[in-house]
Amino acid sequence: MTAVITVQDLTKRFGSERALDGVDFEVGRGDIFGLLGPSGSGKTTTMKILTGEVEISGGTAEVLGFTDRDFGRSAYVKQLGILSDNSSLYDRLTVKDNLELFRKLYGAGRHRIQEVLEHVGLTEQRDKKVSLLSKGMKQRILICKAILHRPEVLFLDEPTSALDPVTTERIHDMLLTIKGQGTTIMLTTHNMAEATVLCDHVAFLSNGRILDQGRPDNLRHSYKNNKIHVTYRTGIIKSYERSEVNKNILETALFDSNVIDIRSDYPSLGEVFKKVTGRELV
Amino acid sequence: MNAGRIMTIFEKDFKEFTRNMMLFTSILLPVLIAFMYGSMGDSQQIPSMLIFLIVGIAFSSILTSGIMTMMAEENEKNTLRGLVQSPASMMDILVGKSLVVTLMTAVSLAVSFLIMDMDMSWGAMDITGIILLGLFFLNSGIGVGLTVKSVATTSVYLLPIMLIFGFTPMIEIIIQDETHIIRQAADYLPLYQNMAIYDGEALVPMLILSLWVVLSFVYAAWSFKARMKDA
Ligand SMILES: Nc1ncnc2c1ncn2[C@@H]1O[C@H](COP(=O)(O)OP(=O)(O)O)[C@@H](O)[C@H]1O
Ligand SMILES: [Mg+2]
Repeated sequence: MTAVITVQDLTKRFGSERALDGVDFEVGRGDIFGLLGPSGSGKTTTMKILTGEVEISGGTAEVLGFTDRDFGRSAYVKQLGILSDNSSLYDRLTVKDNLELFRKLYGAGRHRIQEVLEHVGLTEQRDKKVSLLSKGMKQRILICKAILHRPEVLFLDEPTSALDPVTTERIHDMLLTIKGQGTTIMLTTHNMAEATVLCDHVAFLSNGRILDQGRPDNLRHSYKNNKIHVTYRTGIIKSYERSEVNKNILETALFDSNVIDIRSDYPSLGEVFKKVTGRELV
Repeated sequence: MNAGRIMTIFEKDFKEFTRNMMLFTSILLPVLIAFMYGSMGDSQQIPSMLIFLIVGIAFSSILTSGIMTMMAEENEKNTLRGLVQSPASMMDILVGKSLVVTLMTAVSLAVSFLIMDMDMSWGAMDITGIILLGLFFLNSGIGVGLTVKSVATTSVYLLPIMLIFGFTPMIEIIIQDETHIIRQAADYLPLYQNMAIYDGEALVPMLILSLWVVLSFVYAAWSFKARMKDA
């Protein structure tokens, strides 16, 4: 794995408060990396450090070969695609005017606006004033803005929070397409279903510390409960340790017409999170 | 600084300016006063006090207020971040916006003077003086614009700037005693230097005016530095 982002022992203090406390992770080229955690866990702070908005207090970070000393510089920041937690558009201008502004500033090709709008299915909104768009549309346009100049790395801070499920799914499709074009994406979320669908690699952040990280399926596997549950029509559930389950138990259950469900309990990513951090998300 | 990016910012802010009712109506203020004077219909020579009152109003309510409001709004709505993260530098942004407000002020003043049917045979000194005055108002607006975080707070700064530096000649109506301490102090305000230049003086008012420009520039530069540090 060639790492595009490497973060080592990152700490951030705001006065006496530790917002980040020894954070380590790597993001491989072309991967979608998800930083998961409840609000206040330090997701935005991590993003802002990597996008040059917040200075680090300790540790090191490297992105695209730039070290954290370069993070405040324009030469670095202009290479990134950024959707921050409070990014916004010019309300009085049209969608096209907004995108045209950034297209020209970044020196991207003329065709790019049409291309990105087609990409998110918003070509019809092109000449609409931004103030007339729905929240979800604005968010999609902001992502368009972030990818106009084909950045190698895209930082998205809670790209789908407070959006309806349909828009959320559209954005997921969009992100998978962007990933398909070779872009490395780092996103934050407190939506576990989102992380499961999108991420190649996730890290669980809680109170400024990463408690575990890995591929979602590996994490689920390593935190699985070795139990088999047999549910009867009467509502009774019999649970067996996997080690004690034998062919006999299983076959009996399988042919028992009173049994309505047999399953192993494979935890969802949210359940793993809860086990690891002892906290619910959100 | 980069000419292409400055023009891109200019284009965008030109559109924003013309679609922002508050900013756009500021252009009308000097025109309205000129119109009122014009309809009084006397054919005498226009008093220099009136000319420079209109200049002061135009400069403070369009140049200063315009750039201040535009910067404050970008801060408030958090669009400035997006610009700064792009290849545009803060300088590109400031120059692009300054060009917009300068153009709007020039148009407003030209229309006002046309309405008043003013004889525009200004000498090199008068024009230099007006340019210096413009720089003073622009720097002040930039200085405040880089500091304030919301449009609402701009008025805290704008009101005194307008009253003291924009409406300066009004003091003659409020305080008629020429020896009054405030009248004496007002003699050193920028707008009175332009009036003195218009009335034929040159060296001293030009020096005082230049001093005001230097002061305003230092203030703008200080704001700029402070802003870049926490950016
Ligand atoms: N500018 C700041 N000044 C002081 N404390 C801050 C600042 N930004 C964030 N924090 C604190 O750092 C912690 C992490 O915040 P944040 O990174 O925004 O979390 P998240 O994005 O996961 O919700 C919180 O306790 C928050 O109060
Ligand atoms: Mg956050």
